[in-house]
Amino acid sequence: MKNLALWIGAALVMAAAPFFLGEYHGDLYRKLLLWIALALSYNFLFGISGQVTFSHFAFYGLGAYGAVILVVKAGWPLALAVPAGVLVCAAVALAVAIPATRLEGFYLALATLAFGQLFIVVLNEGGALTGGTGGLANYHLPKIAGFDLTGRPYTAVIVVLVLGTAALLRRLDHSWFGRACRAVRDNPEAAAAMGVNVARTKVAAFALTSALAGVAGMAYAFVDNTVNPPIFGLENAFLLLFMVIIGGAGRHAGAVLGAVLLYLLPFGLSPLIGHHHALVFGVLMVAAILLQPRGLIGLWDRFSR
Amino acid sequence: MQDFLELAVSAAASGCIYGLIALAYLLVLRPTGIINFAIGEWAMLGAFAGYVLLGALRWPYPLGAAAVLGFMLLVGWATERVAVRPLVEKGAPLLAPVLALLGMLVVFRESVSVIFGPDPRQVPYPLGFGRLEIGPLAGSIQNFLMIGVTLAVFGAAWFFFERTVWGKCFEAVALDRRAAALMGINLSRVTALSFAGGAAVAGLAGLLAGPNLSAHFLMGVPLAIQGFTALVIGGVGRVEGALLGGMLLAFAEEITVRYAPIPPGYAQGVPLVLLMLFLMVRPKGLLRAP
Repeated sequence: MKNLALWIGAALVMAAAPFFLGEYHGDLYRKLLLWIALALSYNFLFGISGQVTFSHFAFYGLGAYGAVILVVKAGWPLALAVPAGVLVCAAVALAVAIPATRLEGFYLALATLAFGQLFIVVLNEGGALTGGTGGLANYHLPKIAGFDLTGRPYTAVIVVLVLGTAALLRRLDHSWFGRACRAVRDNPEAAAAMGVNVARTKVAAFALTSALAGVAGMAYAFVDNTVNPPIFGLENAFLLLFMVIIGGAGRHAGAVLGAVLLYLLPFGLSPLIGHHHALVFGVLMVAAILLQPRGLIGLWDRFSR
Repeated sequence: MQDFLELAVSAAASGCIYGLIALAYLLVLRPTGIINFAIGEWAMLGAFAGYVLLGALRWPYPLGAAAVLGFMLLVGWATERVAVRPLVEKGAPLLAPVLALLGMLVVFRESVSVIFGPDPRQVPYPLGFGRLEIGPLAGSIQNFLMIGVTLAVFGAAWFFFERTVWGKCFEAVALDRRAAALMGINLSRVTALSFAGGAAVAGLAGLLAGPNLSAHFLMGVPLAIQGFTALVIGGVGRVEGALLGGMLLAFAEEITVRYAPIPPGYAQGVPLVLLMLFLMVRPKGLLRAP
């Protein structure tokens, strides 16, 4: 009960925050929350289940485009479009997960990289449905019971998404499923010997986290009221991986820390180095792997002890 | 028919570039087990080194090309020193150097973007723009040069693996690292050599493709994907598989662009679809290890 009160309190504070921020900073805040949601689910896939994939942003894009197409293009009511969108994301995630997780080692990384790139090709060539290279823009979230959610109030939707993702993944991590995922990551043979169904665990982790990325994408669709292909490309997939590794792979707090740090870093660095912050990301990534494989959260552990 | 033969020459030339990139993957992958995500960036560095030495500084081509290869050997050696050796010595899992190389991909690319900016740079043609006809086959001199150089490189690679002690060391390490080390093979030297050689081959691919593609800081990732697809099609077990895979991929691409009734943008999807298909259906590739 106390726990629930804590979550609700956090939700209220987080949803109220943009009312004390300017228009611009409120927008950044909403996007930061979405990055945190993505980092949390990717951390579960990469850090906890040990699957190196580059398709997370493709699922994010699938959710975003799916939401726009269902709500705006097809004009479905939200009560129907939202569950349908979630269902589509989950179905595609499962359909990709079943063959992909059979691949050994780094072949999974390359197959999902190809899938992510192919998704961009399809978006670029999708004609009127996806809007081609320019994407889709100038649409609006329909009013919900006469109430316009656009702008600051929409933060509440994203807060529910982030906290829901965090709560679900935390709970799973502490359940038998989380332990099975870690066991499969560390030693699949030993895990199988202990009675863990390795294949099913991999598929479940991939499909679940990818579907969560899709749901985050559905929320993203109405943040900027525009979706276009480059957002869902390889660059951001790399950045997400860097966030999780620099923050500390396998730890929820690490994922949040990495997302916040790498999202805010360009704003601090741009007066010094202009648009070349990606170079700093690359250097930080190499340095993290070489010097501190457990990430910033590992540093934190060492100093707080 | 004339149309197809013209297509065949240009497809064979791109197939050679993919084959060289696949060979670069293979040189690193066989002895170390590492899939090097930065291989496409190595090719990009080769193209930019070609632009600087041959285009901007106007060195004579043979000297400039040799200098590019020397520079690439150095880049490969340095990449191994910085991003791989410390992790191997620490006994980190194989994933660690692979991720470090992914970081190096971004470091290479962004460094080039800082130095040269976003505009494409022209790499000079060594033998000019002329056209060459050999019997029924016709194409640009550059295309024939690419094919000739690639065949020479693959010949040299075959000689290296089949006829030299170093090549046998590579194979021994690929078969069993522990046993090879116990037989007195210096593992860290083989690793350093494989990275230097891989970088030189990838850089050569960039130098050869440079005149047609233009050196650009984003050229690495597409080349990396095409080269890897070629490697998977041919099979990771044999050197000639890399060339076969490159040829098959290039012909599939060119034929799709020329004859298939789909929008040209979808041609970019050909290597991606082939890569996924082969990984699913035949992950060991067409040629099995002997």
